[in-house]
Amino acid sequence: MIAENVVFGIIAAAMALGAIGVVRTKNVVHAALYLVVVLAGGAAQFILLGQEFVAWVQVLVYIGAVIVLFLFGIMLTRAPMHPKDSLDNDLRWPAAVTSLFLVGILVGLLVHTFHADKVDVQRPVRTADVTSSIFTTYIVPFEVVGVLLLGALIGAVVLARKD
Amino acid sequence: MSARNLLDLAWVIPALPALGAVVLLLVGKRIGEPKAGWLATALMALSFVASVVAFFALRSLPPDARSNVSQGFTWIQAGTFRVNFRFLVDPLSSTMTLFVTGVGTLIHLYAVGYMHGDERFSRFFAYMNLFAASMLVLVLGSSFLLTFMGWEGVGLCSYLLISFWFERNSAAVAGKKAFITNRVGDFGFMLAMFLIFQKVGTLDYSALGALPKLPQSAVTAIALLLFLGAMGKSAQLPLHIWLPDAMEGPTPVSALIHAATMVTAGVFLLVRAHVFFDLSNHAGTVVAWVGAITALYAATVALAQNDIKRVLAYSTISQLGYMFLAVGVGAYSAAIFHMITHAFFKALLFLGAGSVIHGMHDEQDMRRMGGLRKYMPITAGTFIVGWLAIAGIFPFAGFWSKDEILAKAWVSHSYALWAVGAAGALITAFYMTRQVWLVFYGPERWRDDAGLVQGSGDAHEGDEVNVGGAHGGSAPHESPWTMYLPLVALALLSVAGGFIDLPFTNQKLNVLDRWLELPEPTTVSHFSTGLVLSTVALVLGVVGILVGVAVYRNGLRRDGTDPGVERLGGFAGVLQNAYYLDAGLARFVSGPVTAFARFLSDGVDRAGIDGAVNGIAAGARAGGGTLRRVQTGLVRNYALGIALGTVLLLLYVATRVSF
Amino acid sequence: MIGAGVTPIAHAPVDWYAIAPEIALFAAAILIVVLRSVARHDPKVHQASMLIAIAGVAASALFTGVQWAFVHSNGPYQAMSGLVAVDGFGVFVKSVILGATLLALLLSGGYLRREHLESPEYFALMLCSATGMMLMASANDLITIFLSLEILSIALYVLAAFDRRRLSSQEAGLKYFLLGSFSSAVFLYGIALVYGATGTTRLSGIAQFLAKIVLLHDGVLFVGLALLLVGLGFKVAAAPFHMWTPDVYQGAPTPVTAFMAAATKAAAFAAVLRIFVGAFRLYDVDWRPAVFGLAVLSLLVGSIAAVVQTDVKRMLAYQSISHAGYVLIGVQAATDKGTSAALFYVCTYAVMATGAFAIVMLVARRGDDRHELTDYRGLASARPVLAGLLTLFLLAQAGVPLTGGFVAKLSVFSAAIDVGQYWLALVGMLAAVIGAFVYLRIVLAMYAPPDDEAAPEGPRIVVDAGTGVALTIAAGAIVFLGVVPGIVLDFAHAATQLLAR
Repeated sequence: MIAENVVFGIIAAAMALGAIGVVRTKNVVHAALYLVVVLAGGAAQFILLGQEFVAWVQVLVYIGAVIVLFLFGIMLTRAPMHPKDSLDNDLRWPAAVTSLFLVGILVGLLVHTFHADKVDVQRPVRTADVTSSIFTTYIVPFEVVGVLLLGALIGAVVLARKD
Repeated sequence: MSARNLLDLAWVIPALPALGAVVLLLVGKRIGEPKAGWLATALMALSFVASVVAFFALRSLPPDARSNVSQGFTWIQAGTFRVNFRFLVDPLSSTMTLFVTGVGTLIHLYAVGYMHGDERFSRFFAYMNLFAASMLVLVLGSSFLLTFMGWEGVGLCSYLLISFWFERNSAAVAGKKAFITNRVGDFGFMLAMFLIFQKVGTLDYSALGALPKLPQSAVTAIALLLFLGAMGKSAQLPLHIWLPDAMEGPTPVSALIHAATMVTAGVFLLVRAHVFFDLSNHAGTVVAWVGAITALYAATVALAQNDIKRVLAYSTISQLGYMFLAVGVGAYSAAIFHMITHAFFKALLFLGAGSVIHGMHDEQDMRRMGGLRKYMPITAGTFIVGWLAIAGIFPFAGFWSKDEILAKAWVSHSYALWAVGAAGALITAFYMTRQVWLVFYGPERWRDDAGLVQGSGDAHEGDEVNVGGAHGGSAPHESPWTMYLPLVALALLSVAGGFIDLPFTNQKLNVLDRWLELPEPTTVSHFSTGLVLSTVALVLGVVGILVGVAVYRNGLRRDGTDPGVERLGGFAGVLQNAYYLDAGLARFVSGPVTAFARFLSDGVDRAGIDGAVNGIAAGARAGGGTLRRVQTGLVRNYALGIALGTVLLLLYVATRVSF
Repeated sequence: MIGAGVTPIAHAPVDWYAIAPEIALFAAAILIVVLRSVARHDPKVHQASMLIAIAGVAASALFTGVQWAFVHSNGPYQAMSGLVAVDGFGVFVKSVILGATLLALLLSGGYLRREHLESPEYFALMLCSATGMMLMASANDLITIFLSLEILSIALYVLAAFDRRRLSSQEAGLKYFLLGSFSSAVFLYGIALVYGATGTTRLSGIAQFLAKIVLLHDGVLFVGLALLLVGLGFKVAAAPFHMWTPDVYQGAPTPVTAFMAAATKAAAFAAVLRIFVGAFRLYDVDWRPAVFGLAVLSLLVGSIAAVVQTDVKRMLAYQSISHAGYVLIGVQAATDKGTSAALFYVCTYAVMATGAFAIVMLVARRGDDRHELTDYRGLASARPVLAGLLTLFLLAQAGVPLTGGFVAKLSVFSAAIDVGQYWLALVGMLAAVIGAFVYLRIVLAMYAPPDDEAAPEGPRIVVDAGTGVALTIAAGAIVFLGVVPGIVLDFAHAATQLLAR
C-alpha cells in the first residue's frame, strides 16, 4: 500500500504542477503541452486504481485526439506561437483566491467524508464487464451519445462551411 | 321572475360597458364620431338602468337577506385553490354600482362634447367603457381575487387614459407614474390576499361574516396590507404622487378617475374588508392618522397651485383623506356617504373646470382667467354650487357628509383627529374660494397678458404655461349642451345628495346608514353635541370663505402676484412644490437606484474592458475581432463569476454538513 | 471465438415506446440531413425541411399524447432499466417543449429567408436540440440528464452562432459554448460526487437510498448537490450564473433566442424539479435555502438590471433571468403545489417569451439589429396590430390579470406562501413591480410618436405566414391561459401527481 501511495503522490504532484503550468504560461502551445502532462497523469492514476480500460480511453481520446486537435487548431488558424501578454489578465488574483477557496472547500469536505475509508483496488475491473454494462444497462446513454455526435457533426459542418 | 333571479343577472352591469369597449376597439373607427361616443354613453346609461333595477330588486328582499351571489363559473381551480367568477350584490355593492354608473354616464355624455374633433375619438370611448367595466367588476366581485382583477384593470385603463395624449411627453410620463405607483399598492393588496387565503382558507367575501379566530398580529397585518393597496389606488401619502400628474389626461378622464371610479376603489376595499379593521386594535388608528395627515397636507398644497385642475387634484387627495379618517374611526357608512357626495361635487367641479378650459381654448392657468361668470353663466353657476358643497355649507351635500365624519371622529374620542380634520375643512373652504374668485370673479385677466408676470414661482412642468397669451381676441364661450347638461344634473345632486343620510336622531332619516347596515362606532351621540359640532363645522366653512373673498376680492394684485400666496412668504415655494416629496422621490429613484441597476447589469464585467460588454458594437470588426473580444477577458470574467457563485454555494453547503 | 470466462452480451429489451417521442423528432432531423445531401441544390429543400421538421414535431406530439393516455390509465413507470421515466410530469414538459419548438420553427422559416440564411441544417439542429430537451424531460438518471444536456447545448451553441456574418452572433455562440462547457464540467463533477455518496445515478435509486440510509458524513452528497445546482442554474439562467444570458440572447438569431428562452428553460427546470424535488426531497431542509438564494438573486438582478438597458432584446434577456427566479420560487416550495406551479409558469413563460421575441424579430428587420428602444418609437401608429400584440405579451410577462402571466405568478406566490415563505413572495412581488416598469418603457416607446431625428426608416416590416401563425397561436394561448387557466392548471396538477418516483 505504501508504494502505491508514494506513486500516487508523485503523479498527483506532477499533475498539479502541470495544471498550474497550463494557466500560468503565456504561450498557447506550451499550455497544450502542459495539458498533456495533466491528462497523462490522470491515465496513470486510473491504472493505479486498476481501471485499465478507462486509462487507455483517457490516453487515446484526450492525448491522442483532443490535444492533437488543439495543436492542429493552433497551427491552422495561425495563432501566435510566441509568448503573448494578452493571455494574462487583471483578474488573476481574484481568480486565484476563488480557486483556492474552491479547492479548500472541496478538499475539506471530501476528506471529512471519506477520511478513513479504504478503496479496494485488489480486483481490477475487466474491460469485458465495462462493455457488457454499456450494452445492457446503459444502452440508452450509449445510443444517445450517437445523437450527440450527429448533432455535433452537423454543427461542425455548419460552422466550417464556406459560403 | 323573482328578485333573486333578477339579481343573478348582475353580470349584465359590467358586461354592458365591456361590450362597448370590445365593439369600439374592433370597429370603433368605422362607427366614427360622434356615434361611437353615443354608443358608449348609451351602454353606460343601460348599465345604470340595470343597476337601478338591481337596487330595487335588492330592496324588495327582507333586510337580513339582502345579499345575493350569482352563479358563475370557476375561473381557476388547482387543488384546494379555487377562484369563482361570481358577482355579489349587496347594499354596499349596489350603492357603489349606482353611483359609478350614474356619474359615469354623465361623464360619458360630457365627453362626447369635450372630445369632439379628437382623432382617436372612438378609442377614447373604448378605454372609458373598459375603465367603467373594470370598476364595476371591482365593485361587484364576490371575492378578493375578482376585486383584484377589476383593481388591476382599473390601473391599466387609468394608464391608457392618462397617457391618452401620449404625443405630449408629460402625459406619457404621468401615465407611467400612475401605473407604477399603483403597482406598489397592488403589491400590498396581493400580499394581503395571500395572507387571507392562508389564514381564512378562502378569498370569498361570504367568509368574512364568520371569521375563524385569528391572532391579532395576522389581523393587523392583513388590515395594514389592504390599506397599503388602498393607499396606492386612493392616493394617500406618500403614494399620492401620481394623482396630481394624472391631470395630463383629458378632463373627463380626470373626472372619472377622481370622482366616480379609481380613487374610490381604495375606500371601497377597506369598507368591504372592514372586519379586519374591526378586529384589529391598531390598524384603524394608523388608517385614520394617515387619512387625517393626507387631508391636511393636500389641502395646504392646494392653497398655492395655479393650475385649475391641479387645485382640484389636491383637493381630491384631501377629501379622500377624510374618507380614510372615517374608515379609521370605524365610521364606514360615513366614509361611503362622503364618497358619494364627493363623487357628485367633485365630478361637477372637474367637469366645470373642463368646461372652463374648453371655453378658454385650453388655458389651464387660473392667473389668466377671471370674470368668466359673464361669459359662461351655466358653468359658473354650477361650479359655484360645487364650491359651496365642498366647502361644507348648509344644506349642500358636502356639509352633511363632512360633518358626519368629523362628528364620528369626535364621538369616538379622537379629538386630535377632529381638530386636524376641522383645520383641513377651514383650508378647503379658503382655497376653493380662491379658485372661484380667480376664475369667475374679478378682472378679466385673459384680456391683458401684461397682467401676468411670467414665472412667479411657478416651477411645475405639468403646468403647460401658455407663453405669450394665445387667446387673441376670441372671448370665452359657453360649452355645448352635451357638456352643460351633466353639469346641471350634477349640480342638482350636489345640492340634494346630502339628504340620503341626515344625521338626526330620527332613525328614519338615516337612509344610507340603515341601508348599508355597516357597523358604527358604538358611542351614543347626543343631539346637542351633534348640533354644536355641525355649527362649528359650518362656521369654519363660512370663515374660510369669508377670508378667501376678502383676500381675493380683486383677483390678483396689479403686478400679477397672488395676494394669498404672497403672505406665506418662503413657505409658498414649499407648498407649490408639494413639500418636495415628489421631486425627492424622483431623485432617489433616479440616483442610487439607477446606479445600482447599472452596477448589476454591467458593473462587474465592465471593469478594465473598453465597454465591450454591451459589446456588439455597431461597427463590424475584422475576423479576429470576436475572438479578441472574448479573450480580452469577458468570457473569463463570466467564468470567474460562475466560479464565485459556486464558491458561495459551497460555503453555504459547508454550514449544513453534519460534523 | 469468445475467450474463456467471457459471457456473451445479453441483449437488453428496448422499450421503444418509452422513447418514441424523442425518436420521432430525431428521425425527422436525420431525414432532413439525408434530403439535404440528396437534393443539394434544389431551392425547395429549405421549405421541405421546415415541413419535415413540423411533421416531426407533430408525430412526436402524437406519441406524447399516447404516452399521456397510457400514463393516465396505468400510472407512471420506469423504462430501460430505470434510465427513462414515462410519467405525467415528463408528458407535461414534453408538451411545452414541443409547443415551443413548433413556434420557433414557424418563426424561423421567414427569418432565415429574410436574412438569406436558408439552410436545412438549421432545422436539423433545432430538432436535435429539441430531442435533447425531450430526453431531459423524461430522464430518470443523472447520466441521461447529462447527455441530454449536452445534446441540447451543442446544437444550441451552433444555432446561436448561425448567422456567421454577424459578429454578435458569432460572439454569442462562442461565449455560450465556452461558458456552457464550463458549467457542464461542473455538473458532471456534481454527478460524480452524488454517485460517490449514494452509489447510484438513478434518481429513484438515490431517493430510495436516502430514504433507507442516514448518511453520517453527508459532505460529498451536499457538494455534489451544489454542483448540480450550478450546472442547471446556468442552463436556466439563474443568478449568479446568468452573466452569459444578455450577451447570448442578444447576439443569437432572434428565433433561436426565443427557442432558448422557452424550450431550454422548460427542459432544464424539468431536470431541476426531478433532481431536487424528486430525488432529494428528503434533504429539502438543506437545499431549499440555496434555491431560495438563487431565486432572490435572479428576481432582483434580472429585474433591476433590465431597468437601465436601452436594447429591447437585452431587456427581455434580463427579464428572462427574473422569470427563472419566479419558477425557482415554485421549486423551492418543494411541494406538489410548488411543482405544478413551476410547471405552469414554465409553460406560460414559453408562450409569452416566444411571442415577445417574435415581434422583436420582426421589428429588427433585415440584419436583425434594430433592437434599440428608439427603433420601437412610432410602432403603434405604423403597425398597430404588432404593437398591440407586443403589448399583450409584455403585459403578460408583467403579470396583468386575464393573461396567463398573472395566473402563473399567482400560483408560484401562493405555493411559496403555503409553506410560509412570505419573504420570497414579497421579493417576487417587488421584482414584479420593477418588471412592470421595464415593460412599460417598451410599451411607451411604441406608443410614442416616431422620432424625427432617428435614422431614416429601415425597410418595411414584413410579416410572413409562418410568423403570423406563430403569433396568432401565442396570443391565443396567452389569453387562453389567463381566462380559462383551469385546464392547463389541472394538467400540471395531474402531471405532478403522476411523477415516477
